[in-house]
Amino acid sequence: MMSILSVTGLRKEYKNMTAVRGVDFSLPEGKCIALIGPNGAGKTTILRILAGLLKQTDGAVTFSGKETNADIRKFIGYLPQYPVFPSWMTAREFLLFSGEIAGLTKEEAARRAEDLAEQVGITNALDKRISDFSGGMKQRLGIAQAIIHSPQLLLLDEPVSSLDPIGRRDVLTLLERLKKEMTILFSTHILNDAEEVCDELLLLHDGEINEAGSMEALREKYQTSVIEVEFQENRQRYLEKLKQLPGITACTLERQIIKIPVADIAQARKEIFQAAAEENWPIIGFNLNRASLEDLFMKAVKK
Amino acid sequence: MRQWQTLVKKELLGNFRDRKWIWVPIVLILLAVMDPVSNYYLPQILDAVGGLPDGAIYEMPQVTGIDAITMSISQLSSLGILIFVLISMGTIAGERKSGIAELILVKPVSYTAYIMSKWTALLALVLVSYIVSMLFAWYYIGMLYEFIPIGDFLLLLFFYGLWFILVVTLSIFYNTVFRSPGLVAFSTIATIIVLSVVTSMFGQKLNYSPSNLSNHALHYLQTGDISGALIGSAVTTISICALLLVWSIYIFQTKEHAS
Repeated sequence: MMSILSVTGLRKEYKNMTAVRGVDFSLPEGKCIALIGPNGAGKTTILRILAGLLKQTDGAVTFSGKETNADIRKFIGYLPQYPVFPSWMTAREFLLFSGEIAGLTKEEAARRAEDLAEQVGITNALDKRISDFSGGMKQRLGIAQAIIHSPQLLLLDEPVSSLDPIGRRDVLTLLERLKKEMTILFSTHILNDAEEVCDELLLLHDGEINEAGSMEALREKYQTSVIEVEFQENRQRYLEKLKQLPGITACTLERQIIKIPVADIAQARKEIFQAAAEENWPIIGFNLNRASLEDLFMKAVKK
Repeated sequence: MRQWQTLVKKELLGNFRDRKWIWVPIVLILLAVMDPVSNYYLPQILDAVGGLPDGAIYEMPQVTGIDAITMSISQLSSLGILIFVLISMGTIAGERKSGIAELILVKPVSYTAYIMSKWTALLALVLVSYIVSMLFAWYYIGMLYEFIPIGDFLLLLFFYGLWFILVVTLSIFYNTVFRSPGLVAFSTIATIIVLSVVTSMFGQKLNYSPSNLSNHALHYLQTGDISGALIGSAVTTISICALLLVWSIYIFQTKEHAS
């Protein structure tokens, strides 16, 4: 697959700490990639380096087919986590300004501003001062300004973390749509958001990339499922019995439900059903839970 | 060039919405006009507050037009400069501190265009305010004392204006060095004070120092001949400004634009 951007050996040291400890990754073109990690993992630092706002201590960032010393800002759109706008401007003025400094002509910028305002849903507020905007509207304006020059790569720093559920939904839908036009890299510490729109994941922990790949591949790799069995009575007794079944190594009783993490679902299910049938266990619920992204994340981080 | 225009337009609009285009000229006019006018009405003012004690003989000094414009200039040189430093201390530093710069500099903006646009927009405000205030001073001085010949006045306006260009450029320079507007203001003012003190201490050797601009220009008004020292100071000032601008751009290019 063509990669639009590749990063090798990227390091960033501050005076008294290392924020990024030598990461390598590449962004496949046309995909939506999530940069996931807990707070302080180095997500913002990486995005800022890619956007050209910070200089790396070491390592290289190459934009596909571009000279290393070319101004790659032209091909990149960026939205910081807490965008600060010149609040005395109207949204239209700011979009025009952003477009023009990004190299659009006045007419192009005006047309793009109208278009994008509609796409992100701020048409009605276009001529209002930004100081009157709500958080959600600012975030939409932020996305609009980031893509006004039709960049090939869109970098978003925690685009939905600070939004209410409705705003979050809108932005995710918008990303879903933008995915068709450009490569998107966004950072988040909220796993569900990543799961929803992303094709690829980069798991960042403590300045290092612990895991990278497509969502499917990662799921497969960290596949562990949990079988949940619910008994009508004598839970403790059956817990002991379950523990003795072959292929079951650990099980716990949590809120009336016995949870059994298993590697081989088919095998474990067979054992349980067999024993249940022979001894007529009073099972009232049987559930199979596949690993969530969160489990996957915890696993990768603890590795 | 087009980027520079766009950026300048944004700055001017910002200063306009901030009402800076209104209050800065007004304050400067007050500063420039206050001393000549109050000096003229000093006898009446003294009378109004009870007058001098009986028998006191106080001879009003004969104030010439040049004396009067010197008063205006000394006001602009102190409080005027303070105001210019205050309006310029956050022009880049504040934008970087707040994060606005992050949105601008992530676009393919040339750093030169960015710095130069800040400089231009600030200079426009400062110079317009300065010229307007001096015109007011010239008019009032003409009405109350005597008119300074317009040619002489324009020359004074030009040479003394260079001093303000230096102040603005210094402020822009410190704006690229520091991220805190307060530190920018402090450094700018400290530099100006040091320059003035050093110049007055080594007056002979530093005859071409920028802070001699007003002295030389006023000297010209009195004698009517343009001295080499005036030209020398002007050339020094312009050179320092150019150097500072280039240096600012260099510093800005090597800086990181997010914390």
